[in-house]
Amino acid sequence: MTKDGKMIFPLNEGLYTLPSLPDEKTQLIGSKCTNCGELFFPKKDKGLCIHCQQITLEEVKLSRQGKIASFTIVLQPPSGGFYHGPVPYAYGYVDLPEGVRIETQFTGDFNTLEIGGDVELVIEKLYEDAEGNEFVTYKFKPLKD
Amino acid sequence: MRPLNEMREVTIGGIGITKWGFYENAEWYDFGSEAILAALKDAEMEWKDVQAAFCGSVYQGTGSGHQAIKEIGLTGIPIINVENACSSCASAFRLAYQMVAAEIYDIVLAVGMEKMPRGPIPSTAFRPWELKLGFNVQPANYANIAVQYMKNTGATMEDFSLVTIKNRRHGTLNPNARFQKPVTLEEVMNSRLVAIPLRLLHCCPLADGAAAFILCSKDKLKSKHKVITVAASTLTSGVYGEGYPPADLIPSLKYPPAMTLSELSAKQAYEVAGCGPADIDVVQAYDTMAPAELWDLEELGFCKPGEAPHLLREGVFDLNGKIPVNTDGGLMSRGHPLGATAGGQIYEIVLQLRGQAGLRQVKDAKVGLAHAMGAGPNSAVTILKR
Ligand SMILES: [Zn+2]
Repeated sequence: MTKDGKMIFPLNEGLYTLPSLPDEKTQLIGSKCTNCGELFFPKKDKGLCIHCQQITLEEVKLSRQGKIASFTIVLQPPSGGFYHGPVPYAYGYVDLPEGVRIETQFTGDFNTLEIGGDVELVIEKLYEDAEGNEFVTYKFKPLKD
Repeated sequence: MRPLNEMREVTIGGIGITKWGFYENAEWYDFGSEAILAALKDAEMEWKDVQAAFCGSVYQGTGSGHQAIKEIGLTGIPIINVENACSSCASAFRLAYQMVAAEIYDIVLAVGMEKMPRGPIPSTAFRPWELKLGFNVQPANYANIAVQYMKNTGATMEDFSLVTIKNRRHGTLNPNARFQKPVTLEEVMNSRLVAIPLRLLHCCPLADGAAAFILCSKDKLKSKHKVITVAASTLTSGVYGEGYPPADLIPSLKYPPAMTLSELSAKQAYEVAGCGPADIDVVQAYDTMAPAELWDLEELGFCKPGEAPHLLREGVFDLNGKIPVNTDGGLMSRGHPLGATAGGQIYEIVLQLRGQAGLRQVKDAKVGLAHAMGAGPNSAVTILKR
């Protein structure tokens, strides 16, 4: 809870860790197959590896930095009324060094987005509702060079 | 498994189509039944000759084929509704083909029809958490593939625009297309940005419409049209590890597929048909977004990866080029009624092989290929021969 009574909610539950210590940093939560080594994000609750069909998945915390595989800047609101964030917004894919691709929104200066560019995980507000409650999500942000 | 090319030969008895565009005062069963009746007339057959019906649509709800056939008359035949996203009509066509090939029936109807929902179209491919993050913008999903394609091949925005321009030029010769006016490079490049780098005129327009086919064994043919046989009709629905953002598929970095979905369905089709890309005289490629036609032609084997933009500029894919592509204007001109789209492609191939394509006729076309993709994911390749 923030000091003026407004609440902060994760937009989606279970996608990233919520640090309890001040120097701990948030990480995305994925699944790793102990049989074939395949990695998934988000984690798969059934524990079934969709590559080797064994129930051999275990939860893993993923790297906080990666490289942009692709990105776009969207200039029209998505259909369906599910999205309440700002438009334009940027989204695309980030490759993490352990070998998994993450679909993500990007934040920071969109002009610095480039394929192969280094990015880092951040937790950031997507939007606030009419009462001022904040909904936050994971995003990736270009690292300053 | 019995190989399809060892089964009975299947021919196109008749074809029917409606004008594609927006039908404000008609439903899918109205223009769907119109397409079926047109196919029957073209086949010179009676409705009572038809022994089974496979009906493709996406958004029309339960029993949509039954509603169209009720307009013609129920005759006790099995009616099977086929929903397979943008490959629905190709899937219905494939089932009809298999039924005749396997000698279960001699005369079978395949139809695709769609009255597109007005307003936002819901997508089932994306999970709720992804919808909340805005990952379900179709042009943006293609934009993510397009930027990688540009990086890997050196293709430019202008190359993408040239696809739109070519297809809209071909569309001027198709009286059934939604858009029959050409567009200029300036118009495409100045159209509204939707998802960088893609602009509105890089996206195919929506439309309502229907297309129908009577498939039959050769001995049941009645019309005097040139005999067109189905050389292959393949469908593959996803391979492990391939990224396909429109279907919310993220590629596996550890286990990438040996072949993409399109490459696999094309390979299967060429094997069954006993031919290769060099034997194809006319192509209907999947141009739901302008750049997609380029990588589609590469994956279908018509050129090497990265070569399509250059060949496009040389005019190879023009109506009078070496490999004419989307001779009826493609999705860009026809418009995209999801459940009927693949039917529009197959219809055009039949016209071309019969020599009935009028002003857009490809000279002496003998073998044609149609490729439908789409959410699921699905990839359907149809090869016809005369
Ligand atoms: Zn596994």
